[in-house]
Amino acid sequence: MARNDSLEIGELTDTSFYILLSLVEARHGYLIMQNIEELTEGGFSIGPASMYTTIKKLLSAGLIELYGDGKGKRKTYIATNSGLQLLEKDIQRRELMIVHAKQVLNQKGEKSG
Amino acid sequence: MKKKYVTSKGLAFGEEKDMGKLRYYAKQGWVLDRFAPLGFWLKKGEEQDLSFAVDYNKNPDDEYFAYFEQAGWTHVCSEADYIHVFSAAEGTKPIYSDRETTLDKYEVEKKNTGRVALPSLIATILLFVLGNLGSIPGIIGEILIWLGFLTMIVFIFSGMPYVGYQYKLSKLKKG
Repeated sequence: MARNDSLEIGELTDTSFYILLSLVEARHGYLIMQNIEELTEGGFSIGPASMYTTIKKLLSAGLIELYGDGKGKRKTYIATNSGLQLLEKDIQRRELMIVHAKQVLNQKGEKSG
Repeated sequence: MKKKYVTSKGLAFGEEKDMGKLRYYAKQGWVLDRFAPLGFWLKKGEEQDLSFAVDYNKNPDDEYFAYFEQAGWTHVCSEADYIHVFSAAEGTKPIYSDRETTLDKYEVEKKNTGRVALPSLIATILLFVLGNLGSIPGIIGEILIWLGFLTMIVFIFSGMPYVGYQYKLSKLKKG
């Protein structure tokens, strides 16, 4: 697919992060957006075209798979084992980012305080 | 039913302008009905403030349209089961919400038009060169030249959008 593919370098975009997180449990594709808005209290929302494109990418990368025999609108997805592993890895990457940020900001606070 | 025709700038070059034009007319009660050659057909309806958005997807399934419906976007019309226009109340969140998938949209279109543009350019050059060779008898040479004009038209209508998408991508990547 396209070259701007963060999955290839083993990172999740915010969009794929939240989709994968929603699919820890099996869920209808069209209900994922709603689930994410509820989870983040409206703080993060995914447009329908971004949603569809990202679902297709996660499917072709083997990070999610079809669950049951739902068709069309009723298609249901669930994260695969490699999807869950990548999610775990990405959570650690994001946690580290927060640790780094806090280190820098705390040091700055100590200096000026 | 009253109808009105409006021109399109070509989606590869004037997507935003075209969508803005559709919004402008919808406010006056002329609402998008369907695609027309090099433009759109509008029909008289209620005056409403609508946003319009275009997306590309070959032979989309029900799931695709279900996502849009769920997000408040109504499917208005499609061209060749490939180009789809949606409308929603002004202020509805956009259909693309992140950079990566926005770039994907135009990368795929660039690739698709490029796949037609390059072979048709090569065919045009070959046909013109062959048609002008002295060793080829007159009538065949003439046919080759005419075929060359046909492939040149194909090249123009695929090469121009290709350039449009390339321009859009370079703007998006800079921004």
